[in-house]
Amino acid sequence: MTEDTISSLINPPPRMLGWVALALRVVLAGLFVLAGALKLLDPAAFALEINRYQLIPWWSCALLALLLPWLEILVGIALLTRWFSRGALAWVTALLIVFSLALLSATLRGLNIDCGCFGRVWQSTGTFWPLLRNLLLLGMTVFLWWKPRRH
Amino acid sequence: MKTGGQASVIFFAALALAGLTVAVHPKKPSFPNRASDPGEISLQEVQNWNEPVLWVDARPESDYEVEHVPGAVSLNPDNWSEQLPHFLDGWRPAKKAVVYCSAASCETSREIADRLRRSGVDPVYYLKGGWEAWKATR
Repeated sequence: MTEDTISSLINPPPRMLGWVALALRVVLAGLFVLAGALKLLDPAAFALEINRYQLIPWWSCALLALLLPWLEILVGIALLTRWFSRGALAWVTALLIVFSLALLSATLRGLNIDCGCFGRVWQSTGTFWPLLRNLLLLGMTVFLWWKPRRH
Repeated sequence: MKTGGQASVIFFAALALAGLTVAVHPKKPSFPNRASDPGEISLQEVQNWNEPVLWVDARPESDYEVEHVPGAVSLNPDNWSEQLPHFLDGWRPAKKAVVYCSAASCETSREIADRLRRSGVDPVYYLKGGWEAWKATR
């Protein structure tokens, strides 16, 4: 590995960072739009998924089941189109933190439940891997906060 | 517009769309009462069947050994591999199986019911309120 290669890895050119930011933005946006759309197919079933976390009363599960899918879809679209993209990035970060805390709490309590991340259409039992995935996505948002205006 | 302002606009737009969803979505959640999970069944409904039921005890084996629903077989995530063949010996197609765990808050009965369904057992239900609901009627 030449000195130039090492130097470009440590201090990548702004253009490359811009492409990385764009790629991360597209991945996050796509995941959020997909997750929101799948939940929106059956909000009643999604409310039951939230209820299985045993964290909040039923009425708030029902409210979240109606609100969260739209929030996810809108922040996904905003990230893609860069329309209100900083507000969208703030929501993505906040939602990922809240989802991760809920998953961590379920993991610590030994609850063997579906993550509910993609509604009932795409189910996966267990909370550990979704938690790891969320932490990876949070890492992406940290990068986007750090490099928000380049791309 | 600042970040907080943008986030507020997104929130209120989502709230408005959620309101629209309540008005038109055929699968909207009901606010006052928790909806029944597909596959979840109450003890009263089971008793109204008036037919033999294959009970499945999804609690830990130590709890099963202390007391269980008469005729129930023990099948939980820990003994699944070794007990499933015994369970299938006692099951006949169209015979209804009902899985229970400790209480309303446990999730094991749902998990075992899902596993049984994937193994070809149908119909299979899980008991609302679990063992506690059963004990309350004794």
